[in-house]
Amino acid sequence: MMWTCEQIEARLSDYLDGALAATDRAAFEAHVGDCERCAPLVAHVSQLLSGMHVMEQVEAPPRLVYSILDKTLGPRESATGWAAVLGWVRGMASVRFAYGALSVAGTLVILLSALGFSWRKPKLADLQPVNIYRNADRQVHLVYAKGTKFVNDLRVVSEIQSRLRQDNDLQTNPESVAPSASPEKQPGRTDGSKPATPRQQNRADDVRRQIEVLANELPLWAGRLSVPMFARRLP
Amino acid sequence: MEQDAQLVQHCLQGDASAWEELVRRHTRRIFNICYRFTGNGTEAEDLSQEVFLRVYRTLGSYRSAHGGFATWVTSVTRNLLIDHYRRTKRDRLTDSLDDAMPVVENKESAGRRPDQQLLLGELSAQVQAGLTKLSPDLREAVILRDLQQLEYAEIQQILAVPEGTVKSRINRGRIELARILQQMGVRPT
Repeated sequence: MMWTCEQIEARLSDYLDGALAATDRAAFEAHVGDCERCAPLVAHVSQLLSGMHVMEQVEAPPRLVYSILDKTLGPRESATGWAAVLGWVRGMASVRFAYGALSVAGTLVILLSALGFSWRKPKLADLQPVNIYRNADRQVHLVYAKGTKFVNDLRVVSEIQSRLRQDNDLQTNPESVAPSASPEKQPGRTDGSKPATPRQQNRADDVRRQIEVLANELPLWAGRLSVPMFARRLP
Repeated sequence: MEQDAQLVQHCLQGDASAWEELVRRHTRRIFNICYRFTGNGTEAEDLSQEVFLRVYRTLGSYRSAHGGFATWVTSVTRNLLIDHYRRTKRDRLTDSLDDAMPVVENKESAGRRPDQQLLLGELSAQVQAGLTKLSPDLREAVILRDLQQLEYAEIQQILAVPEGTVKSRINRGRIELARILQQMGVRPT
């Protein structure tokens, strides 16, 4: 016996749930195979069920459990007085909090030192914004000036060292720069010429000029160690 | 479950931690039923709170011999949802689904491929939109059977109607929902 479309609709869930007997199942499929109205309906409902069965549960908001507990059990007890203070302190007794506090304190010390705060004679006035700005400005300029001077000193010392090195090289290889013997000059006779070549003389002048610059750039060093020497050699 | 019955006993003896455990166990399931029924996260949250408040007040009337605690809580939920539906019928006519608060899909879905996840998200939104257009009788039957995966006997107990009525509502609900989705232009994949 062929089923009607109404029968197909009424038994659709039984068919999809696998609850139809074999003969009913055959009759159901025979009708759906031939019916243009029922075939798409069965396909749609079947696909809808497959989709709904893989749909996942939505997440409940995390606060919901606490809201329910507050509504049913009442607000949770909160400590007051010393108990609250103790609870607060106990909450801080952790390694993570200790590390955090240490790093914050270290950062503060570095910042305040950089801003010119005097730890030996601490003054409240040093913490005023205007004073902090002035100290910071002074510190920045001081650091910049010191840095510039240091770089200049290094440059001068480096230049002197290179000159001295070149000079030493000249002294160790005198034949390369010494004047060749004049064929006209008699042995044991002088012709009044200087012993050094013009090149050697120029180098000596250069060294002297550099030492003068060094003396000007490094007055303390020069004063302590080398003033007598420079005084002898400088005109 | 036996554990639920024991927890209820502890609750009735004044054990607050037992109640907390019961709430944690069932909150997500109840929230899901409410969300699927209303299609609105905020309403679902408020209704879930109401459900547990009512369960807490009437916990003494629960008898484990008559069925599982989960079934009992679901029955309370269903009654509240129907009350809520009747109460808000007029408001709903002017409301739009666009106002619904978005809710977060299950974190377990993170294991799926992005394209699968996208399709599943689309399907979920479409089914949700279709469900809200179903009559409440058919909607609750479909939610309990196809989204909560409950057995016919449990649904019969929750809805307090004969088995034939449960089957008929589920069947009509599925067909109606499929037609609604078709009218919405949802193509089967």
